Amino acid sequence: MGTYFSKEKLDLLKAQFDTAEYDAEQAEPAIYIGKEQLLDLMKVLRETPTYAFDRMSCLTAVDYKEYYEMVYCLYSRRYDLWVTVKVKLDHDNPEVESMTQIWEGTNFEERETYDLMGIKFLNHPDLRRILLPDNYEAHPLQKDFVPLEPRVEGGVLTWHKPKNLS
Amino acid sequence: MAQTEKFVLNMGPQHPSTHGVLQVQVELDGENIVGAKPVMGYLHRGIEKLMESRTYAQCVPYTDRLDYVSAMNNNLGFCMAVEKLAAIEVPERAEYIRVICAELNRIASHHVFIGSLTNDLGSATGMIYAFRDREKILDLFNIICGARMTAHYIRIGGVAADAQEEFLRDTQAFVDYVPAMLDEYDRIFTGNEIFQARMKGTSIITKETALKYSMSGPNIRASGVDYDIRKIDKYGAYGKFDFNIPLGEQGDNWDRYIVRLKEIQESANIIQQALDNMPEGPVMAKVPKVLKPPKGDAYHRVENTRGELGFYIVSDGSTKPYRVHIRRPSFVNLQALDSMCQGMLLADAVTAFATIDPLMGEVDC
Repeated sequence: MGTYFSKEKLDLLKAQFDTAEYDAEQAEPAIYIGKEQLLDLMKVLRETPTYAFDRMSCLTAVDYKEYYEMVYCLYSRRYDLWVTVKVKLDHDNPEVESMTQIWEGTNFEERETYDLMGIKFLNHPDLRRILLPDNYEAHPLQKDFVPLEPRVEGGVLTWHKPKNLS
Repeated sequence: MAQTEKFVLNMGPQHPSTHGVLQVQVELDGENIVGAKPVMGYLHRGIEKLMESRTYAQCVPYTDRLDYVSAMNNNLGFCMAVEKLAAIEVPERAEYIRVICAELNRIASHHVFIGSLTNDLGSATGMIYAFRDREKILDLFNIICGARMTAHYIRIGGVAADAQEEFLRDTQAFVDYVPAMLDEYDRIFTGNEIFQARMKGTSIITKETALKYSMSGPNIRASGVDYDIRKIDKYGAYGKFDFNIPLGEQGDNWDRYIVRLKEIQESANIIQQALDNMPEGPVMAKVPKVLKPPKGDAYHRVENTRGELGFYIVSDGSTKPYRVHIRRPSFVNLQALDSMCQGMLLADAVTAFATIDPLMGEVDC
């Protein structure tokens, strides 16, 4: 699978962004970045001619209970190069800049992440639920998710928190 | 001059030309399409969530149900991601059998594409021809693993069982039949005047649009972008085979059809090379009965029939994955539907739905 972003390049980025970090012991370390600097870092990765990361191959989020982590796997077609960028988000208020400002093709994937994981994307053109019903008020991929119960009220299917059975 | 008013027409979720439960809200000005918004989720089963409460081996059958007309490719993607995570070496013979199955499944999936496309364009006969030949491949899968569509044949560490003589012999017979099959398709559909008139120059996706929307698979190659994961990543045994990547020129419906037709021949060539050079040996690596990959995460992508299929798996060191994310090609490709349909007539929207080839099991996940 191509080559991974070298440690020299990672150090260059680290010098440029003060919140950037990586684990030097791993063979293919991901870049951790503060969420304020994410958009700038991504712009550098996309626009620097020697990187040219033109494809967002995978965009997703993981719920680690104390925090959420956004995971971006970027691929550069020109250099057959990979890099993974990760951002830790506050568990109470997960918000991050939308990548549609740089890669327009991440629109649906961000809507999916919002729908299933509850991450809010700032400056997204159309942040609505994509897979679940519009009146569903939970995000199933969160680790503390409890399935909602369907009920028909006035001819409309609505979703409710389950009553405590015990 | 008559005044017209824009209105919205719902196509689907129960509409024969949307191939499953895709709903498209088509905004019309008279008969001209102003916009087309895909609405999905009718087939959402929460496979990513389900996988969190299954062991790694139990997750594999769920991948069959993603893109259920090319199940082998999905098995392959998931198994390779787990193998990457747990550092499992797959025996060479298993790699070859995997390639044969994945390419057979690619052909079968393109048969569904051709069949439903011709059906949508008003030729029900075409569907019968394509499905007749698809049946031959499903019979091959029946021989090798006992299932026709949801194969669950590719397992973590190799394949479920060695390929029998009967399977190899019948696969050879099928590969020999492919040129005659394609010749027949050319005579029945490709040369058909109506077929050409409906597809040439309609629903163009330019190179720039295709790249902008992160498209992949035959859809992006029809727009002239040379992007095939089999060639780029050379995963599994793909690095050992010599094959071409068919490219289109302008990215219209016609190119998307032709690219897939040519891919059938290329897939047959790959299968032929795999059959000729098939090594002997085991077909399953030594995989612990209770598989506990080390803590960490892995992303692996393969080229399934519809494009770039990626699995991102996080392991917490237990027997079950902590998180699985599936990057589904049809889901991402659907973003281009709006720009494909704009300016076309309503009747052409049906062709556009068919050639972008979404599979709802994969879109909704």
